Amino acid sequence: MTGVPEPLSVAGLVGWTLLVFAALALVAAVVPGRARGPLLLAAGAGTGISLLWALGVAAVHLQEGVPDISRVSIGSGAWLAGIGAIVIWYAAVQATASPRVRRVAGVLALAGVAGAIAWGGLGELSIAKEYAVQSRRFWTLVRQHLVLAGAGVGFGALIGIPLGILASRYRVVRDVGLGVVSVIQTIPSMAMLGLLIAPLAALGLTAIGTTPAVIALTLYALLPIMRNTFVGLSGVDQGVIDAGRGMGMGRAQLLARVEVPLALPLVIEGVRAAAVLVIGIAAVTAFIGAGGLGVLVFQGWGQQADDLTLLGAVPMVLLAVLADVALRAVHRFAVSPGIREGAHS
Amino acid sequence: MITLKDVTKRYGETLAVDRVSLEVPAGEVCVLIGPSGCGKTTTLRMINRLIEPTSGTIEIDGRDVMSVRPEELRRHIGYVIQSVGLFPHLTVAENVATVPKLLGWERRRYEPKVLELLEIVGLPPAEYAASYPRQLSGGQAQRVGVARALAADPPLLLMDEPFGAVDPLTRERLQGEFVRIQRELKKTVIFVTHDVDEAIKLADRIALMRAGVLEQYDTPEALLDHPASKFVHDFMGADRALKRLGRARVGDVMRTDVESTTDGTRAIPREACAGSRFVYLTDGDGVLEGWVDCRVFDAGTPAEEAGTWVDWREAAVHPETTLKDALSRMLGMGFRNVAVVDSAGRLVGEVSLADIEGAMAGGDSYVADPSEGDVPSERLDGGAPA
Repeated sequence: MTGVPEPLSVAGLVGWTLLVFAALALVAAVVPGRARGPLLLAAGAGTGISLLWALGVAAVHLQEGVPDISRVSIGSGAWLAGIGAIVIWYAAVQATASPRVRRVAGVLALAGVAGAIAWGGLGELSIAKEYAVQSRRFWTLVRQHLVLAGAGVGFGALIGIPLGILASRYRVVRDVGLGVVSVIQTIPSMAMLGLLIAPLAALGLTAIGTTPAVIALTLYALLPIMRNTFVGLSGVDQGVIDAGRGMGMGRAQLLARVEVPLALPLVIEGVRAAAVLVIGIAAVTAFIGAGGLGVLVFQGWGQQADDLTLLGAVPMVLLAVLADVALRAVHRFAVSPGIREGAHS
Repeated sequence: MITLKDVTKRYGETLAVDRVSLEVPAGEVCVLIGPSGCGKTTTLRMINRLIEPTSGTIEIDGRDVMSVRPEELRRHIGYVIQSVGLFPHLTVAENVATVPKLLGWERRRYEPKVLELLEIVGLPPAEYAASYPRQLSGGQAQRVGVARALAADPPLLLMDEPFGAVDPLTRERLQGEFVRIQRELKKTVIFVTHDVDEAIKLADRIALMRAGVLEQYDTPEALLDHPASKFVHDFMGADRALKRLGRARVGDVMRTDVESTTDGTRAIPREACAGSRFVYLTDGDGVLEGWVDCRVFDAGTPAEEAGTWVDWREAAVHPETTLKDALSRMLGMGFRNVAVVDSAGRLVGEVSLADIEGAMAGGDSYVADPSEGDVPSERLDGGAPA
């Protein structure tokens, strides 16, 4: 927190709690055995939640008796602590073997975070005040961002998966297709938007707005999806394919019943990677008037209003995390327990 | 019946299979054998059209395989391969049901069949039907592979080194079960291997190939005793008497008049030891638990000290075990006698070194005099009371 002028009794208390949790994480890190995971989970959640409370309490305190137009921003120390909490949480999830413990801890932590946000005085923070001013526009931009990224990943999958299948069948598609898609991936996103102007003009389309943005995002989504589909299909055991053919499966049956189900974990992983990537790149399309959270980021930069930038950036991070979580859930749901990594066997 | 006529497969300049003709009568096991690269697997794969012959014809029961759509053809031919190739994303039961599903059978038709087959290959469905392939051992996986090949009840089975990737003990067990199942189901089987002992053990006829050419196609006995060429002679190996033991089964020579008791070592009367060397100890169900050595017992040692307690899986053989395997088991354990149990471990008889020597002596005298007729099977069957 920047500039704490005097001892803040309540904030100090929460701060101490934060320290205790951080210490707990340190202890948990060296505790061997089964207790380590749950301890780390508690430490990570505790650090994160108490940090939010501390921010809230401090913000309320600092805001007392000063004019309403003044802003309380989050300092670098708090950002670091926040990142620390996330790192601890991530390590904890890795270290916890029981999925039930993970689930329960996740729900509790989410409730704690929600509680801190709802009642912890975070509304006094600058970013929340920005949100209060921008709230209607904010949700429109979130929706635009989701549509852009969703369309990019959707078209990417619609084109990339069949391309991946063809690449596993035909050398030409593999060499040329994967080559072209890889080159596309190396084009910086700003350059891509510029490069699209000519071909779009040839098609009679403008280089401004949603259409070119979706085209660019689709092109970026192609590589992870196509490559993973190709790698997944190529990795299917030859013995399995021989057995399937020898039992009388036709090409399509073999593909649908054996190869695709076996490649599915990698295909989903490709879509997940594409989603996270495209959610990030979608910010840039604000430049060509496609909307999305990038608008807030660039406006914030333009006006040197850091909080406005944050209001665009933080939700973008959250969207990426959400997409990640959602596609992991799809993986759990769609992939056979016979080939799922870490499934109980 | 399978008929191959002048079947040839050419890859560019190389002749992988060169005018192979052979006939496999229905219900027989034909083993294709030869050094690697001899064309045995290519020949096998041409039968279900995984490889298309360059020329020649292959007929199954008089029908040219080229007249049938490959997928349709393969659904009526069982196929087992060395790498097993179970579908890892499907359960054991779903794997076995693959071909019935391809044939469009309804669930209520194939489900009982699947469970029955798992039972037959020795994987109790209650325990295994819902497991996934990665939970199985190599031997168990190949049992599922065999069950899967049998699911739609094909008259013909193609097996490409099916037991090549498992450890020797498991291989021996799988071979024994193959013999038992084949005796029951009477499929026509084309079996590829490079293991002479396996061929001798399982084949009704052996087709020995070299460099794409069929060198000799005859019974194992004929290949051992009347090799058509030096190559056949060398390939089949020198230890013919021992090899012939691979043709005879414990069930043919074992004695079933064994003494056994369910009372443990406590109450063995001296008379029990009158006729035989061993008194076998079994549980209430007749499952072998051990034995009492009568010589030790007669020498005055109390019965409980003369008793040996064993696990039948380790210390007994099955009726379908070959004499060769039984002999090596005896030598390995240092016993002159070994108990014979059925697949559930119930005592059914015993076989001694002397019984095997008898069978081997017949073979030896035969080898010494190649002008003699066929295998002395009477001699082998001589001691079989059952």
